[in-house]
Order: sequence, then structure tokens, then C-alpha cells
Amino acid sequence: MRLTVFNGSPRGKRGNTEILLAQFIQGFESVPGAGNSHELFHLNRVKAHHAYAQAFAEAEAVLLGFPLYTDAMPGIVKAFIEELAPYCGRAGNPPLGFLVQSGFPEAAHSRPVEVYLEKLARRLACPYLGTIVKGGCEGVRMMPDRMNRKLFAALNEIGREFGASGRFDPALLQKLARPERYPRWAIPLMSLLLKAGLGNIYWDQQLKENGAYGQRFARPYSG
Amino acid sequence: MRITILNGNPDAIHVAFDDYLGRLVEGLAPAHQVTRLDLREVKVAYCTGCWGCWVKTPGECATRDDSADVCRAAINADLLLLASPLRMGFISALLKKSLDKMIPLVHPYIVADQGEAHHRARYDAYPLLALLLEQGPDADAEDVAITADILSRTSLNLKSQLAFTRLTDAPVAEVIHAIDSL
Repeated sequence: MRLTVFNGSPRGKRGNTEILLAQFIQGFESVPGAGNSHELFHLNRVKAHHAYAQAFAEAEAVLLGFPLYTDAMPGIVKAFIEELAPYCGRAGNPPLGFLVQSGFPEAAHSRPVEVYLEKLARRLACPYLGTIVKGGCEGVRMMPDRMNRKLFAALNEIGREFGASGRFDPALLQKLARPERYPRWAIPLMSLLLKAGLGNIYWDQQLKENGAYGQRFARPYSG
Repeated sequence: MRITILNGNPDAIHVAFDDYLGRLVEGLAPAHQVTRLDLREVKVAYCTGCWGCWVKTPGECATRDDSADVCRAAINADLLLLASPLRMGFISALLKKSLDKMIPLVHPYIVADQGEAHHRARYDAYPLLALLLEQGPDADAEDVAITADILSRTSLNLKSQLAFTRLTDAPVAEVIHAIDSL
């Protein structure tokens, strides 16, 4: 099978989505004897969207991946989806799957847009493969590979399974998505750790590097 | 009430939607202070995910475009009305592009909010959000519900809530009433 992959990250090749997609693709292409291959397009090349919509229409199967932006798809991805309007309901549209990654630790943040994506597949009359959801991904591109090993192995497996069977394994998707949300008992502890600044280290480091730490609470549009 | 309306209608040729907003603004004007931004006339570049607004120039987009005007109009309003025709079952790319550029209004730090991780507030007060959608022939009630659900999440991340969702099928007076009832 030839898989047409659209990377909807505004950061393009330099983002986390690219890394996650590559792990999926590696698994997909590793199935012996299947002859699987892929082509990859970057939606941050907005001027190419029209041509990319053509590639969508001609594809055998499609994977669209993006980072969660204000609880949905980034603007560039919505623009691309609007380019697909002429293909709504067309017979013979390719099976369509998605990957949504976010910086929030829990998968729950990505579920509302997942509902939209499933409807989008219906709108396009594409067989819906499923949506790979993973939170806590903001640091992936900066972390040493050994810290990403588990995540990469899971994406590899989902890709391999898809390469062999032509479907996303719901059990694997569910396992990857964990934590879906914080269990009730863990919430007070999480609140405490966050209050202590556990989640700030990543940002503070960058603020300091840029000499902007002192202005981090700036309110430029007040009044 | 200070009301900011973001008009996400991408097509100047689609006058029915703009006319509806025109009548809405007219109806609101006596009692409220209304700012209407037609986003297709505002120069906003797509968010590139550089996080400059969080770690380089805190609170401001590092790309100098007119998104600063959108942010200023949004944060200084009591009500932010997001208006858009549904396109492929969701708000237009034009409006989504502007929403992406509103993340400078919150802080990168993460706090626990309603049992979930969310961004910390940057400002003391945030506007209520509301949705005005044109359903159009290509969408159904399910699309409206899906869109409202996503935007209620966005409202939560903007330290606020989605006050109401209305369709342009409704008379303008009904939207005005919904606003007056807030």
C-alpha cells in the first residue's frame, strides 16, 4: 500500500508531529513482503494546498497529522480541509486516518476534535481508519531518544499493524493515549506539583535564554 | 457591555452573512459598545508555533502583524462573539487562524483547572465567549454541536466559558436578546 501523509504542523519538518509521523511510517514500511511505501507533504506550504488536495484525491490511503492548536486543528490544516470541499461524498475517496498530538499531558483535550475528524471522514465519504491521540508531546523533539523510546515503539507498532492489516488497532490507540485524564485521586497531587512549578521548568529555561524571564507576566494589552 | 465581534466570513461576495452582522451591530449599538473586526480585512499571518509570544516577547506575537489588534480587542471586551459560516463543518480557516494567534493572551505555565492541565491566566479578566454560526446547506445540527463543543473547550483555555451558540437562521433580535440576558 502507498500511504499519503500530510503533516499539518506549522513547524513543518522541525516539529514534533514530523517525528511522531516518522515513527508510524517506519513501522508501516517494515512489514515484510507488503511493499508498503509513503509520500509526505507539509501543509505549512499553504500555497501548495491546491496541489495537495489533488494528491489527496488520488491517494490509496491518507494519514493527516497535526498538533492541537486551541483545542482543534491549526489554521493551516483548516485551510487545507477547505480545499478538500470539492471531494465531499465522492465515490472512491481514500481511507482516512489522523494523528493528533498535544502538549497537554492528557489525551482528553484532543477528544472533541477527534469527533470532528470522524465526521470529516464521513463528509468526504472516506472510510475512517481512526485517530491516533497522544498528549505530552511538546518536549519530544528536545528529548534524548531513550526518553522517547516507549512512545516511538508504540507508534511503530500502530504503523506496523496498519501496514499488515490496513486498520488502526483500537486497543493500541487506547494504550498509547494514556493518560486519558488524571484519576480523581491524583488531582490534588497534580495541583500541588504544578503549583510548585514542576511544569514551568521547560518554559523558564527558554525565557531565561531569551532574556525575557523578567517580563514573563507582561500584559501588553491591558486597558 | 463592551462587545467584540470577530467576523470570520472569508468571502466578501457572501453578503448575506455580513448583512446579518450589520443588522446585529445596529441593534446592539444603542446599549453596547461594539467593535466589529472583519478578519478578511485584517492582516494576520498563520501561527508558526514558534512560541515567541510565550518565551521571547511575552504576551505578544513575535511576528509583527495585525493579530495584536485582534488580541487587544478581544481581551478588553466583556463579550467576544465569534461569527462564522460553517465551512466543512467547522468555523472558517480565517477565524481559526485568528484564534491560533490569541495564545499570547494566556501564559505558557500550566495549572490544574477543573481536574485538567490548562494554561495559566495572563490577565485578571477574560471576555465571555459566544458563537454565531451560519449553518448553510452543507452542514447539519451535528456539525453545529461538534463546533460548539470544541469552542467550549477553547473558551475554557481562554479562562472563560462559552455563553451561547446561535445560528443566523434566528432573527437578529433573538441574538440581541441572548446578549442582553448575559
